[in-house]
Amino acid sequence: MNVRAMAAAVLVAALAVVAVGVGGASGGSSANTLTVWLQVDAQSGWSEVVAAANAQFKAQNPGWDVDVQYQTWGTHLAKFDATLAGGNAPDVIEMGNTEMTKYSAAGAFQDLTAISFPNKSTWLQGLAASGRYGGKIYGVPYYAGSRVVTYRTDLFRQAGGKIPQSQAEFIALAKRIGAKNKAKTFSPVYIAGTDWYVAMSFVYDYGGQIAITRKGKWVGTLDKPAALAGLAAYKRFFEASSRAPAGSNEGTPPPYDVMAHGNAASTYGAGWFTCCVGDYKNKVAQFVMPSHTKGQPIPGFLGGSDLAVPVGGNKDKAAAWISAFTDNASMTALRAKGNIPNTTSLLGTSVNERAARKSWFVPQSKNWVNVENGNVLRTMLQRILSGRSSIKDAASVASDNITYTLNQ
Amino acid sequence: MTVAAEAIAHRSRRRPRLKRIAHASVPYLLILPVIVVITAILGYPLYKLVTLSFQQYGLAELIQKKGVWIGFDNFSSVLHDEVFWRVLLRTVIFTAANVGLTIGLGTLIAFLLVRVSTWVRILLTAGLVLVWSMPAVVAVQVWVWMTNFENGILNYVLTELHVGDYTGHDWYGSTFSKLGMVTLLIVWGAIPFVAITVYAGLAQVPRELVEAAEIDGAGPGRVFRDVTFPVLKPIFLILTSLSIIWDFGVFTQPYLLIGSSAVDTSNYLMGVYVFIEGYSHSDFGRGAAISLLMLLIVAVLSIFYVRRMVKMGEAQ
Repeated sequence: MNVRAMAAAVLVAALAVVAVGVGGASGGSSANTLTVWLQVDAQSGWSEVVAAANAQFKAQNPGWDVDVQYQTWGTHLAKFDATLAGGNAPDVIEMGNTEMTKYSAAGAFQDLTAISFPNKSTWLQGLAASGRYGGKIYGVPYYAGSRVVTYRTDLFRQAGGKIPQSQAEFIALAKRIGAKNKAKTFSPVYIAGTDWYVAMSFVYDYGGQIAITRKGKWVGTLDKPAALAGLAAYKRFFEASSRAPAGSNEGTPPPYDVMAHGNAASTYGAGWFTCCVGDYKNKVAQFVMPSHTKGQPIPGFLGGSDLAVPVGGNKDKAAAWISAFTDNASMTALRAKGNIPNTTSLLGTSVNERAARKSWFVPQSKNWVNVENGNVLRTMLQRILSGRSSIKDAASVASDNITYTLNQ
Repeated sequence: MTVAAEAIAHRSRRRPRLKRIAHASVPYLLILPVIVVITAILGYPLYKLVTLSFQQYGLAELIQKKGVWIGFDNFSSVLHDEVFWRVLLRTVIFTAANVGLTIGLGTLIAFLLVRVSTWVRILLTAGLVLVWSMPAVVAVQVWVWMTNFENGILNYVLTELHVGDYTGHDWYGSTFSKLGMVTLLIVWGAIPFVAITVYAGLAQVPRELVEAAEIDGAGPGRVFRDVTFPVLKPIFLILTSLSIIWDFGVFTQPYLLIGSSAVDTSNYLMGVYVFIEGYSHSDFGRGAAISLLMLLIVAVLSIFYVRRMVKMGEAQ
């Protein structure tokens, strides 16, 4: 009897655990310490730029200290939510440009419109747009990264390829490379099937869009003819060049790993991919992904980061630190690392920067993240590439879903 | 004299009663710390969860630290969402498959443990304990490496053994195969608990009962059905109930193995669904409503077992 009573108690406790799942994390800042959340990219890539900004800030603000806490992309929002609830949010936070709108709309950030940041008039338009909401500035552009083709010079030379000037030329080249490298897992151009950043570039290349606003409402437009043409072009390109499964994503495995394993002649992705191709590091170069129109670049997704000041943060000091971290000296240093600076005044002609000239961005709705988290576009791409449904059917399901989600 | 006698009588009557009260209160005093702790770590969050489920509580409300009371709106929006019902059905089937496989295979291994020689048993038990002590996140990562399409060892071994050409095969290509891989991982991880518990239970089965049945001509199946199983019934009931509770709300394995880039409405299980709705969409009120519904459903699913258990308790 007692054993059973105990078992019943265990059962009840286990049942309750099913329902309760509240987690927490803490930021926390003490007096005269500015808490800054940056992504680990800064720690591994340009910690000296951070250190220089800190030194400059401390020199200008005697008695103040800076506590830089490095975060990872996967978990920083959940931690940020917890600190917002707990009232101990950092003074400065780095946000991905696709993450900004949701938090700006919810009132998570302080209005920075009145502050004169360095190069404010020449901020990179695509990036500055992500920091604006309802006519106010909530995010200061930090840096951007464009997408380029990283390729193995040896394999391209072997296939007699010069840099392709159009998608048709690229497909022809991919087929020649594939004919010389017949391994089943070898991709002439490795693209993960559900990599929607790549697929949507094709959509925008053909004049399509993900969604537009009409009379104050969002309307999904992936089922429109231009977008369908772009999706069809993506499918053609994928089938000719990539051996990745239809349902694969660019996170596992990362495309540079596939190149490092010798399983790809090229890939279309972030500009810094050259860092991580292992033994082929000295055999890779980059070019701008061509459009279907000869001689033009494809519109690429402009990924990037903004710096924002959460509610409760010390606005004046935070703005001072952001100014130090985004001034000409900092931006020049960031550019030297292969990033795209936040100002057109420093923009050069590197392959990255040429690719950034033509770019697209996600619909600026506070609900866009729900489309991303719901993997609406990825699901559509898997259906299209696996042949499970027609391009038109898959696109119209996704488009309806996007219309519904964005208007909630 | 009479007064004194009365006083003595009175005292002697009072003493045992005090003693009895003190005696009777000991068990309550002993479980008091447990009750306090459970109230603090489960009761309070549960109370917050219930209040949260009746509020519009999103990111803006989180920042204002003030929700808007909306009554049953969260519940009715969830119950009118066809995704919820599809996820529920999928999760029930998934749970049934996982619990069935776990209990079935675990029991078979327990019987194996009884039959093998001592050193094999030690080896097997050690293996089971190692599996049991492996953190879920680590297990998922190893599993991901072993089954990845590009250079996973599973594809390599299958191809080398000429089972077929599995080069570049994607084990996560369809909803069924995604959830199948999750099932394999969960069953693998849960078998040790069942096997070791049932093995311990088997030691309680009176040898003479089994022998008597065998002398009367009962085969192994008959012995299990009529002798072993009835003795082990309480253990099976507890194992099944706990497995149902764990598998119904499982989150770590499906979310990490399928991956945040591939979980969608076609493969959500309840645990993942509530996470996406609550945290990813920052709709904490709706998330709370779903998790309360989940609690209710698990309670209904396991009520059968709880009743059986209580009945057995009463019978004894």
